[in-house]
Amino acid sequence: MIWKRYIPIAIVGFFGSLTLFGWFIESEGIKAFIDDDATQWYDIIASFAIFLGALNLLKLQFLKVLKQQSGWQYSVVAIVSFFAVFVIGFFMRGAFVVDIPNADVQSTYFTQGAAEEAVNQLKDSGVTASITPAQWGAHIQTEGGLFKWMFDNIFTPLSATMFALLAFYVASASYRAFRARNFEATLLLLAGIIIMIGRVPLGSLIPSWIIMYLLVLVLGIVVNTYFKSRELVFIVVALGLLGVTALFLYLDSTTVVDIFNAFITGGVISGFEVLGSWFTGWPINQPSIFYLPALQEWIYTVPNLAGARAIMIGIGLGIIVTSLRYIFGLEKSYIGDQ
Amino acid sequence: MRFLENIIVKFGSVDRRVIFVLIGLAVLVPLLSPVDLAIRPTPSSQKVYDAVDSIPDNSNVLISFDYGPSTRPEIHPMTLGIMRHILSQDRGHKIYITCLWPDGLYMAKDALKTINEEYDLVEHEDYVLLGFRPGNEAIVKGLASDLRKVFTVDAAQNPISEIPMMEGINNLNDFQFMFTGSAGYPGTFEWVQYGADPTGVPLSSGTTSIQVNEVMPYVQSGQLKGILAGMPGAAEYEKLIETPGIAIQGMAAQSYGHLVIVLFIILGNLAYFITERRERKY
Repeated sequence: MIWKRYIPIAIVGFFGSLTLFGWFIESEGIKAFIDDDATQWYDIIASFAIFLGALNLLKLQFLKVLKQQSGWQYSVVAIVSFFAVFVIGFFMRGAFVVDIPNADVQSTYFTQGAAEEAVNQLKDSGVTASITPAQWGAHIQTEGGLFKWMFDNIFTPLSATMFALLAFYVASASYRAFRARNFEATLLLLAGIIIMIGRVPLGSLIPSWIIMYLLVLVLGIVVNTYFKSRELVFIVVALGLLGVTALFLYLDSTTVVDIFNAFITGGVISGFEVLGSWFTGWPINQPSIFYLPALQEWIYTVPNLAGARAIMIGIGLGIIVTSLRYIFGLEKSYIGDQ
Repeated sequence: MRFLENIIVKFGSVDRRVIFVLIGLAVLVPLLSPVDLAIRPTPSSQKVYDAVDSIPDNSNVLISFDYGPSTRPEIHPMTLGIMRHILSQDRGHKIYITCLWPDGLYMAKDALKTINEEYDLVEHEDYVLLGFRPGNEAIVKGLASDLRKVFTVDAAQNPISEIPMMEGINNLNDFQFMFTGSAGYPGTFEWVQYGADPTGVPLSSGTTSIQVNEVMPYVQSGQLKGILAGMPGAAEYEKLIETPGIAIQGMAAQSYGHLVIVLFIILGNLAYFITERRERKY
């Protein structure tokens, strides 16, 4: 009881308090302990935790194979891969660098035998070369070495493929689950669409007037849903479209006077050219509230930030409470208590 | 009208393999035949650019590679962009590289290989690859206190004490700027909390798109000097340093991918509303 419960709790309580009060006590010794020694202890424990993690992984995979649980074949692959990487990383150097000093050329071979063969071939053709085995530790990252080859040609493609598959699943899942079922879901849906389109360059090509015209049409649908009156819908949509058009004609740098002057001074063709530019030269990013990149930036920096900050403060308070529970010995899950 | 509704409802229950094929095409086609799209730098990317631009001459810059191959397409162009920006000015900056992720070491090696093809860098004079150490935030805290206790040798097992450019480098206070390319834990949060805040050294970050929401509060508070947000952030940085790269090339693929997803969401919702209305009616 003492060894399994009280001593671990006392150790956690003591070091927890020391680390906490170290921020408030002016003592070089405590400061040095917290800043250097404690972090080094943590590093050492973290290094050993890797071994524990590996052993745990092996235990689980072996059990799965022995009990022939569903998908045990994958466990065989996991175990074989584990030992292959372990043996290659710890017991095989896998990187022998053949150096031709005069030509400043280096090439790396997986085995000493292959490197020696290359040196002999070079010797036969009158070139002097030497073999330098990669240093232990550095051998796993030596360019052309076996471990680096495995990382580049096996781990990297597998890892990238797993992550890339997310794009397909996200597309399929959002298509099935992203439904405007209620107000909150609709808000989330709209924010998601604005972020997805506004974040990429394609979004900056969509002018704000298109969004405004679309909004007018959406307003028409809403009016139709609630009032069921064709006349009212027509009035709302017509006024909306006219209003948006008038706004953009106003925002355009070309004025009625310019068009009039063009007709008077330049003739019919010149007049129509200026008239055309009055419709085609509308600003794409005004008013900015309807310009997708600006709108997504606002979503990121205002409502999102407020939510993220609230979550962060909540997490911070949670960490304080949990830490105090550990220090006072109330939290005992790490010694197996529920 | 009924005919149109039926088509929409049919689209609303399309097999997921069709979606997979369309997404695949939307990504693949722009990658095979590149399309030029205008890149518009956002304020947060501009902040990172300004922060790097304002580093004093002959500074020591620490770059942490806290990501692996899975997030490489998003973050690698950022770290490359930052390194290019630092080196292109020829202002005597030195680069120190650490990794909080084990596979970050390989990302750093790869980045250095690419950069070495463009700039004639000398290891241990222009850059040093310190490598990976396990310990997550404890490593950052250790670096802030005493770097030499965390790293006694560099990634190639050369003793730190024998590396010329490590002279005078004892902790994070000896750096003038830090950047982390971060794909999760450990990453940006740990560098802010245990590295930049206690020492006051300016820190910028490049993260995956999914992380941006969480990291934004640090940008607004000034604890982070801007953020490169996902692949668009990387493309914006490439645009800012006027060195088009893989991120700008990838933006068309991402744009069309997003567009296809949005179109399917809209179709799915239209089908949902039509089905709901019909069910209510009958």
